[in-house]
Amino acid sequence: MVFGMFAAACGGSDGGSEGAQPTDDPSGTPPEPEGDPAPGGSVTYALEAETNGGFCLAEAQLAISGIQVARSIYDTLTAPNADGEITPFLAESFSANEDSTEWTFVLREGVKFHDGTDLTAEVVKNNIDAYRGTYEGRSPVLFTFVLQDIESVDVVDPLTVKVTTSRPWVAFPWTMWSSARFGIMSQSQLDSENCADDMVGTGPFALESSSDWVVGESMTLQKNPDYWQTDANGVQLPYLDTLIYKPIPDGTQRVSALETGEVQMIHTSSTQQMVERLQPLADSGDINLYQTDSFGEVNYFMLNVTKPPFDNKNARIAVAAGVDRELLDEVRGGGIATIANGPFQADVLGHLEDTGFPAFDPVVAEEAAAKYEEETGTPLEFTYSTTAVEENTLTAQEIQGQLAEVGIKMNIRSSADQATLINEAIAKDFDALGWRNHPGADPDTQYNWWYVGSLVNFGGIDDPEVIRLLDAGRETADPAERKQIYEDLNRRFGEEVFNVWTTFTIWALAAAPDVNGLLGPNLPDGTEPFPGLATGAPVSGLFVNTTPPAGG
Amino acid sequence: MKTIAVRLGQVLIVLVLVTLLTALLINLLPGDPVEVIIPFGSDAQREVLREDLGLDKSLPEQYTTWLGNFISGDFGNYYRQSKVDPVADRVTASAPVSILLVFYAQFLALLFAIPLGVLTAQRAGSKFDRITNTTMFALLSIPSFVLAYLLSYLVGVKLGWLPAVGYTRITEDFGEHVQSMILPAVSLAVGQIAVYMRLLRTDLVATLQEDFVLMAKAKGLKPRRVMWRHALRPSSLTLLTVAGLNVGTLLGGALIIEIIFDIPGMGTLIFEAISERQYVALQSLVALIAIAYVAVNVTVDILYRILDPRIRHA
Repeated sequence: MVFGMFAAACGGSDGGSEGAQPTDDPSGTPPEPEGDPAPGGSVTYALEAETNGGFCLAEAQLAISGIQVARSIYDTLTAPNADGEITPFLAESFSANEDSTEWTFVLREGVKFHDGTDLTAEVVKNNIDAYRGTYEGRSPVLFTFVLQDIESVDVVDPLTVKVTTSRPWVAFPWTMWSSARFGIMSQSQLDSENCADDMVGTGPFALESSSDWVVGESMTLQKNPDYWQTDANGVQLPYLDTLIYKPIPDGTQRVSALETGEVQMIHTSSTQQMVERLQPLADSGDINLYQTDSFGEVNYFMLNVTKPPFDNKNARIAVAAGVDRELLDEVRGGGIATIANGPFQADVLGHLEDTGFPAFDPVVAEEAAAKYEEETGTPLEFTYSTTAVEENTLTAQEIQGQLAEVGIKMNIRSSADQATLINEAIAKDFDALGWRNHPGADPDTQYNWWYVGSLVNFGGIDDPEVIRLLDAGRETADPAERKQIYEDLNRRFGEEVFNVWTTFTIWALAAAPDVNGLLGPNLPDGTEPFPGLATGAPVSGLFVNTTPPAGG
Repeated sequence: MKTIAVRLGQVLIVLVLVTLLTALLINLLPGDPVEVIIPFGSDAQREVLREDLGLDKSLPEQYTTWLGNFISGDFGNYYRQSKVDPVADRVTASAPVSILLVFYAQFLALLFAIPLGVLTAQRAGSKFDRITNTTMFALLSIPSFVLAYLLSYLVGVKLGWLPAVGYTRITEDFGEHVQSMILPAVSLAVGQIAVYMRLLRTDLVATLQEDFVLMAKAKGLKPRRVMWRHALRPSSLTLLTVAGLNVGTLLGGALIIEIIFDIPGMGTLIFEAISERQYVALQSLVALIAIAYVAVNVTVDILYRILDPRIRHA
């Protein structure tokens, strides 16, 4: 699950077009240098935002920049691999009982937190309890209802934790990853009054002193010399000595900082920057570039289906059929994104090429709008809310123009800031919101975004079929059945048009030409690293030095 | 003594008026601060936070509590779900950055504006005067943020002469600090050069018609001495007034330049406070800017007396 609303409220819709990248083909990554990665060096990594709220993970509401920092300092019990399977990470193994109501996690032996204390089952239990709101002194908000199906968390032995759920929860290990948010904090941090600042994890890098984090300027992390993970050759990770995070909110300037060498690595979701600057730099060999929408988020308008006009299905169909998403991507997205017909990107369980979602068809749009007017007595008109960020406003204007051509009046309300947008979403005080969310993981992790009565079901979806499918997906163990369930869910979204999907978000990692290992090392079980970037990427595999290949 | 008391009284009145207005305005902003801090919190959690932030009290009560704390040196905090950042700490880090940026921008602006103002006044009506004025108007019409992007890209990225983005603190490396501030300062200064030059030129042209200037020329003083020693000083008052006002404006108003060049100044703090509905922090920041405004204008008043003997002896 991702609280990507902050990122979403900024990201807007990039549109989509033909000529999209194949999702199993990372784009623009030059060959790795000859020789093996060698320890040493420093990288300054520019992020799109500072995380002012700090890193008390159980309580934090991290956007992607915060997640990127968090996964440098903390480890999660599980992590996904390139095949979209969840694998043990900080846990050495996990297993379920027959009906998936008991999940047992066996921890790695000998792992230490940055303060020298041991990773134990007791600490892990306390962490999980903190996330779900049953640990004294911690006050989480969102994770409480994400984890509401947990009945108890028990220590079996010093390295074994058992989680008991109130009903079968087949994809529970994905929740122990939660888009890299579910980091395990030390006991000292859990109990600290300054939990947000006293960051102590087991991760590849450590914040050695509070003075190493100057809010709004930089955070300097030092290599964890006792990190538990090694590479395939047995070399201890991480390779880098120092990793410096630097917030540079302006996307154009972030690319400039990379180009001038001020920083050695950046991330961005701006397709304009990718097309106009990053790709040419990569083509000339001036940077290493990896960009992908693999397991990515979807851009969409979230419709408020609890009130007019979008409580009416014809209104929803009219808007969906009235938006030329390919043109939208050409005009606003650089023409490189993949059109979305549902919430699940191609690599995600439940993806379908054809979900029944209305294709662009002005005739269908006009007919649906006419039916809406016939049923309600008023012409179709609505307000589209977005943040007053230039990209989002321009995208909204493009959509407005397209809908005007099929007789639908769309008013644009550019909110001054995200705070207003958040409040509108919570209060359901909107018609349509420009949104981005649902990074690829197991679809069960989207449960709360669409379940009736959930605090984050902002659109107010209350559909018996959706409810049935979400519950079935959570409880069904058979992989083939789960696939069918989530494909049916996808079709239901297509049929009912609860949201107007546009494109899948592309994220890019760009680095100086001597910075490699962008996706991180293989996972402990030997499988290849997760290719998605929507929730950051591991930094334990970054390197700037190499040793000559064996044999010269 | 009376003057000091009067000045202090003025500071207090300005402080109260400005912060009272700010408090009223930000309360009109849509969005509940508690919902911004913990958007997904339970009703119970929100009530607790509301009490902690004093938002369960009436607006007058909130304001007087804040004013009392501010006067005693407690500027309040930025409140987040798990983190409380004292405003004082953030201001301590950001204020010097903004002060330096404003100083460099003003210094650059005056460095060019004063000689140009003098030269154009001396050559009023000439081709040089016309070309200079036209150029200044052209520069004035370029928004500072457009200039900032252009300079950052051309000078920073393409030519590599100066850092395109980023800030080095003066305490870390003076040379790099200066380099990192040149482009931001130029972006802010260019528009000011035009304004200052025009103001000075206008006043100088008028002053050069005065009898005492004619007297100085009749006494055989060199033109340069007449201009710089006798005419410039009394002609600087308008320039000084506007420069003083600009200092206050730039202290908290250079947000876009800060964002473009990634400079952690006061503008960013204020923007953060507004975006996150951090009422207490915002009022404290506005109050600090107001105090700076008054301090700068007191300085301007003192400089009036130094520059123009007529005021001194009035």
